[in-house]
Amino acid sequence: MNARRTLAALALLALAAGGLSADVPVREEQFIYSILAFNGRDYSATFVQKTSDTLYLIAGVDNFLTTRNAFVYYWPLTQDWKTDTSVLNVPFQGTLELRGGREKAPRIVASARYTYYNVRGEYELNWKVAKGEEADQAWKKYSDLMDAYYASVQKYYQARALYEGLLNELTIRITKMRDQGQDVSKLVAALQNMSAPKEPEYPKDYVVPPRPVEEAFILNLPVGEYSIRFLDADGTVMEGSERKVVVFQKRRSEGTGYELIPGDKWTRPVESTTPSSVLYIDGSTELYLRPFFEQEYNDLYFEKMQRNDARGNPSVMKWVRIQQVPQARIAVRLPGGQIQTVEEKPYYVEQVKGASLGYKIVPFDPQGAHKDRDPSLRAFQVALGKDATRAALMVLDRNGTPLPGGERQIRVLHPAKAGFVALLLALLPLAAMAAVLARRARRLVS
Amino acid sequence: MNYRWHATRVIAKRRIFETLITPGYYVAQAIGLLLAYFLLSGFTRSVDSSGFDFHLQPLYDLFGRAVEGAFGTVVVQKLFAEGPFQFVLHIAFLPVILFLAASSVYRFGLERKVGAVELLAYGPADGTSYFLASLIKDVALTLLYLAVLLAFSAVAAGLYNLALGPTFFVSLAVLFFVSVAVYAYGILSSTLTDNSASALAVFLALMAFFLAVFLGSFTIVSGYVRNLAGVFAWILKWISPVFYWDQALRATEVGGWPLFLADLAALLLLSGAVLTASHYILKARGVRP
Repeated sequence: MNARRTLAALALLALAAGGLSADVPVREEQFIYSILAFNGRDYSATFVQKTSDTLYLIAGVDNFLTTRNAFVYYWPLTQDWKTDTSVLNVPFQGTLELRGGREKAPRIVASARYTYYNVRGEYELNWKVAKGEEADQAWKKYSDLMDAYYASVQKYYQARALYEGLLNELTIRITKMRDQGQDVSKLVAALQNMSAPKEPEYPKDYVVPPRPVEEAFILNLPVGEYSIRFLDADGTVMEGSERKVVVFQKRRSEGTGYELIPGDKWTRPVESTTPSSVLYIDGSTELYLRPFFEQEYNDLYFEKMQRNDARGNPSVMKWVRIQQVPQARIAVRLPGGQIQTVEEKPYYVEQVKGASLGYKIVPFDPQGAHKDRDPSLRAFQVALGKDATRAALMVLDRNGTPLPGGERQIRVLHPAKAGFVALLLALLPLAAMAAVLARRARRLVS
Repeated sequence: MNYRWHATRVIAKRRIFETLITPGYYVAQAIGLLLAYFLLSGFTRSVDSSGFDFHLQPLYDLFGRAVEGAFGTVVVQKLFAEGPFQFVLHIAFLPVILFLAASSVYRFGLERKVGAVELLAYGPADGTSYFLASLIKDVALTLLYLAVLLAFSAVAAGLYNLALGPTFFVSLAVLFFVSVAVYAYGILSSTLTDNSASALAVFLALMAFFLAVFLGSFTIVSGYVRNLAGVFAWILKWISPVFYWDQALRATEVGGWPLFLADLAALLLLSGAVLTASHYILKARGVRP
């Protein structure tokens, strides 16, 4: 009897253990197009798998396509499709046949060597694409720069070691001489005159450095619908390589959006992108604003350009953040008519001590509390307070000219005061009905 | 023509008076305004230090998640970008347009069936003047309600410190023109059928169909439903008031005022075409089924 029970228990345990095994996603070998698409502010990497028939690109910019065989799988945690190139990554050599657009005859696109990088400038976006020999030169320039930097770092460490050795030796000598009652003033003076070698600065030429030179099909197309297919080295069409290419452009670019960071919710910034939008707040905290340039794109096209398996609405246009407005100012018009100009300032985010936790944003103090740290954000502080009702914002460029689409209203809501009156108003038609019916009844009686 | 116009005016006045002394119109208005009130107070409760967040209020959370799932995040953002009034206006308008259209359709069907329209047709009035009077009544009472809605919204905006926003005023104009087309379809449904129940059923089915096709073509999901709705929408768009409503609102988004006016004119043309069709159908089928 006991043996039976033990057996049954073991069987149950085995069944339960079976259910505990990890759910490994099914990986399928597929021919894919890997895409590096320029999205107006950066390059997005995505891929087109066999079930997707269309890829989306922005018109008039360089986009890079490569073809390869890789494992493709669905990752339920992030609900998107991924490639596993660590196990299988076989790039194909060949050409791309492009049809459509204004050209009637198909065009053969050969792969080209390329790299891209973003150099530091006044604006955030200074993307450069280098092709062919120029790409090699760009990569060499970057490599030389980095080699020179690492060589100088090596030199620095040698000089530092020498300096520290000398410092140590001198200190020991001074201590010994002092113990023997000898004059150390010359040595102390020498010690004081010694200076530590300066650490070389990391090169600041690039915001995004060039990638190692690779080969890809570079597509820079006007707006339109195209079709592509891959031809291998023999000129044979690769099965399953036919795709539609939708090349689109921005509808509008004269927009200015705002990123809003409430003082009590540093981790929950929101964006106001629609130019006619109104910012409703409860006035419980100050706001930190960051104006940015934005462009308007088709929702579906833009989403799919960034991630080919993304969802979007083809019937709707949306504003997309491009870059922060440099050297801007914000003019705040208060109800009285007075206008305050707010300057951009650095701020630091501090964790609130005690049981309440959370964060608070304080002015950055580089000499005091925040010495040797970087500011957490640079933003425009607008504090309205609970008693305020509204304010109007306007973004000004460096010359003081208002930027198009940069006007916004801020309104502080006070719901509790208004509710009952609004409810009474909503019931007015019933009061009118009662009055009409009563009058009618009186008439009929008389 | 003068006789018909005179008869239309007299019947329309009578019908407006009848509607104003009965409770239905007031109840529909009160339902609309109460809906507006609940949506407005819900909106104000969905605002915290970082702005409007529909997740903060159960009613808005339910609606917001449904719309986000069906049409995407951008649609929700745009709908509430200027505040709640664009959404509130459309919801608050529904009870009254439904009441006016449905009651006219039902009454037209009933009066045709019992011979009341035939009786009128023995005098100076005919079937066309009867349905034109019905249209005038509906249009006049719609204008009245839109004025009430505008007044309520303006006062509520002041009380809650909300902005009405430019899209609200645009929507107000568009809704009026859309309602004319909807009433015209109501008349067409009444002339096509033999009794009030079937007239009402045809009218509601037609409106639901226009709406379903539009919503289907507007959904975020790709695949069969969207493709099918897209094909239907492409075929039906020229006769659907919902299509012109959408086009007019889209035109104003980019400041396309000529296109906006063209869409309003198209709505009037559509209404005229539907009424002309109703006139000939009534002529062919007679004032009594």
